[in-house]
Amino acid sequence: MAVFPSVDWFDEVRNVFNADDRYRGAGGGYCNCVAGLKIADHVFVLTFDGVECSAAAEGDDGTLDDVDFYLDMSAADWRDMVGNIAANGAADLHHTLNTLDLDRADGLAMSRHGDQVREDLFFRYNQTLQFFFDASALVETAFA
Amino acid sequence: MAVIVAVWREEKHDEMSEAANGTEPQLDLGWMDRTGPWDTRAEPGKYGLTIADISIGEYGEAPEVSDNLTGRPRGAAARPASYRIGAYAVRSKNEIWLDNASFLYEEALQRQWSSATDVPWHTIEPLPDDVEQAECQLATFLTEVEFVAGDVPARWVSLTTPDFYEPRQVLLAQVMDESRHMDVFRKRALANGGGLMQATGATAGFVGSIDLSRDFTEMSSRLHISGEGAVLTLFRMGELMAQNEAEKVIYRLCAQDEARHVAFGVMHLRYMSETAPERREEIHCYLDEAEGGLIGAANPVGQLTPTSESMAIILGGGKEHFDDGMNKIIAIRRRQLQEYRKRVVSAGFGERFENGRSRVAQLIEEAAA
Repeated sequence: MAVFPSVDWFDEVRNVFNADDRYRGAGGGYCNCVAGLKIADHVFVLTFDGVECSAAAEGDDGTLDDVDFYLDMSAADWRDMVGNIAANGAADLHHTLNTLDLDRADGLAMSRHGDQVREDLFFRYNQTLQFFFDASALVETAFA
Repeated sequence: MAVIVAVWREEKHDEMSEAANGTEPQLDLGWMDRTGPWDTRAEPGKYGLTIADISIGEYGEAPEVSDNLTGRPRGAAARPASYRIGAYAVRSKNEIWLDNASFLYEEALQRQWSSATDVPWHTIEPLPDDVEQAECQLATFLTEVEFVAGDVPARWVSLTTPDFYEPRQVLLAQVMDESRHMDVFRKRALANGGGLMQATGATAGFVGSIDLSRDFTEMSSRLHISGEGAVLTLFRMGELMAQNEAEKVIYRLCAQDEARHVAFGVMHLRYMSETAPERREEIHCYLDEAEGGLIGAANPVGQLTPTSESMAIILGGGKEHFDDGMNKIIAIRRRQLQEYRKRVVSAGFGERFENGRSRVAQLIEEAAA
């Protein structure tokens, strides 16, 4: 059983996501961005290339300088989101990435470079990012 | 017509005579000598055979100024003595170009969706009357403004030389996107016991003025930067307004499309700024006007209008929670303005926020108060 958050867990999600053609239609498809995830003190980086998530890696705080955007939530909020997806098969109305972004005064997605064109990739590829996290419903998960 | 028939008969007669003489009629294959650059072998890359992959050799070179007035595809051999077929007003590259057009086009093709089958319409359930009426009012407004967002780029496509086909392709994809947005909000209005409400007149003010633009960059700064940037924020906030999964999906997928259109505008302004700095002051004037649109009645979170009232009812959860909804609208306005400012900075025109020319910073403070 993969532990969230860890590179192993993201790799398992990548395997599910990359193998399912349904994620390439319905508003999914080409997605080219580097997304950071800040989960409490942990930093992970997901690379999306074409129709695949090609890599997941652990980074450090400095890594976030280079990503197109990063999603920053407390460990409890990340667990709540992943748990909700596991329970429902996909995020419910209150746990989609965009809703979580809107629920926060300063947003969920941010960047250090301040280039809105790169930050906008979070919106441009939002359905793909949602598909990615929804794919985690098929990954047996333990929480650290 | 009589002349043509006569010539044909004469030629046929000659062929018959040749056949009678035992000689074969010969094909005129002169067209085989009239080609663009030959021995071209574009190869698919990791994303398939994209426009970027075929931008090789002379085929990849867009001229700084185009003299192509005949609809000749870029790189094709010219046809002598051909007549003009297009009234191409946009023939200078910096008027319409952007660096990532081919990528945006391929992305647009890949990320299309169907309003008929990709939206889970079965999740829509009856709503309280006031909320359904508000949903229908908002859907009427969005259908109305999406007409403009589709019509205007289409007109500019027809005015642009085929030599700049990459940005044309992106604009054509945008027209398809906007067409889908028009139909999906119309479908929403008709899907749950309501219907279209009174037209809001939103297209008569700033939104309508987009079509009065005399220059492509003027149009793009109004449509892509100001108009669609504001609508992008609205669509994203749509997930807060959604009462069901169908509406969440509608807003999320529309926001994706809109973000692509905004990227077109920002990247074009950036290219224009770098290649035609003498036009920077002119573009600042366009942005002055565009910022007026951000606080005008055409923006449903800009002033109190039937559309903003309907949004407040949806966001609050009914007429009795109108004030709660208005507070959320003010938060949306603040985000719109913040994102607008960052996009303009990204496009290379950030000095307007430093030298007092723009009122956006003041408006953000007012929205936060």
